[in-house]
Amino acid sequence: MPDKTITIRATRYDPEKDEKPRLQSYDVPFYDESMVVLDALNHIKSHVDGSLSYRWSCRMGICGSCGMMVNGMPKLTCNAFLRDYWPRPIVVEPLNNFPVIRDLVIDMDDFMHKLKSIKPWIIRKQEIPLGAREHRQTNEQIDDFRQFSECINCMLCYAACPVYGLNSEFLGPAATALARRYNLDSRDQGLKERLPVIGGAEGIWECSFVGECSVVCPKGVDPAKAIQQTKLDTTMRFVLPYGNRD
Amino acid sequence: MTTEAHTAQPEYRWRMPADWWARQRHYFLYVVREFTALPLALWLLWLLVEIKRAGDGPGRYAPHGSMPFVVFSVVVLLFALYHSYTFLSLAGTILHFKVFDRPVPSRLIVLSQFGLWAAASVVVGFALIWFAR
Repeated sequence: MPDKTITIRATRYDPEKDEKPRLQSYDVPFYDESMVVLDALNHIKSHVDGSLSYRWSCRMGICGSCGMMVNGMPKLTCNAFLRDYWPRPIVVEPLNNFPVIRDLVIDMDDFMHKLKSIKPWIIRKQEIPLGAREHRQTNEQIDDFRQFSECINCMLCYAACPVYGLNSEFLGPAATALARRYNLDSRDQGLKERLPVIGGAEGIWECSFVGECSVVCPKGVDPAKAIQQTKLDTTMRFVLPYGNRD
Repeated sequence: MTTEAHTAQPEYRWRMPADWWARQRHYFLYVVREFTALPLALWLLWLLVEIKRAGDGPGRYAPHGSMPFVVFSVVVLLFALYHSYTFLSLAGTILHFKVFDRPVPSRLIVLSQFGLWAAASVVVGFALIWFAR
C-alpha cells in the first residue's frame, strides 16, 4: 500500500432510496503519477464499493463516455490526472444539465434525440450506386470541416453551456457543430433538410456565445465557432441575392 | 436498454443553481459582457431624446451636464469599450474567408477589426471636433 493517497468525493444516488444525490468520500492509493480520475473510480469499484456506477470504455479520450464534473469542471475522467489535484480532494459529479439516473450516470436521451434531429450523415439528392465511383475530395475541402468532425459526443459542451442549462430545448453545441461538419462537406447536399432544425426557434439563435463549450471541449472542436459561423452563413443566405440556393 | 425503459426509471432532475454565473470566472465575465449592453442602451436612448430636442430648436435644447450624468457617461464609456473589445476579439472566431484559396488567420482578422475600430474612432473624433469649432 503506497503512502500517498488522494480523497475522491463521488456522487452517490440510488433512485430507489435517495431523494437527491449526495457525496461520499473514498481514500484512494495514489501510486503512479500517470493515474487519472477514472483510475481512481475503477479502484473504488474494484476494491471498495462495487455498486458505484459510471460510464467508461476506451480510457484514451476517444469514446467520450467517461465525461463527468471534476471539481466543478466538465472533463473526460480518463484525461484528468490526479497529480493536477493532489493533495486536495477531488469532487466527481455527474455532468451538469442532465438528469441523473444513478451515481455518476446521466440520462443521454435528450442529446441523442438532438443528434438525430440534425441528420449527422451525408445526404445526397441522388445516391451514387455502390462501386460506381468514389466521392472525391481535395485536402482543402476536407480542411473545411475536419475540425468539426473531431467531435466524440462526450457532451462536456452541454454540461458547460448555461444556455442549455436554462433551456433544455436548445439544440446545443455538439449537435450544431456536427450539423456544420456535414453542411461544409463537399459530398453533402442536405443543408436544406438541416436548416429547419439549426435555424429554428431552439437552434443557433438561442446561443448567446458564452464560449465555455469550446473551452471544455477535449478535442478542440470549438462548437462556439461552429454556432457563430452558422449564424453568419444563415444570415448571408437570407440577405444576399440568390443566398438561398443549394 | 430502450428509451422507454430509461424514461420509466425515476431520475434526479438537475436544476441550474441561481448563482451559476458567480461560480466561475468565465461565466461571470460573460454575464458582465451581456450586462454592459443595458446601460449602453439607456445612454443611447437619452442621446436620442437630446437629438430630438436639438431638432426642435435651440430653445428646447438643454444637454444634461450634471455630475451624476457625467459619472454615468464615463461608466457607460468604460462598458462600451469593454463590450467593443469582447465583440471584436470574437470576430476571429466568427468570420471565416479565404484569400487566394487560403483561409485568413483569425489573429489577422481580429487585428484588422481593431485597426478599423481605431481608424473609425479617429475619423469620428475629427468630425466631432471639426463641427464643434
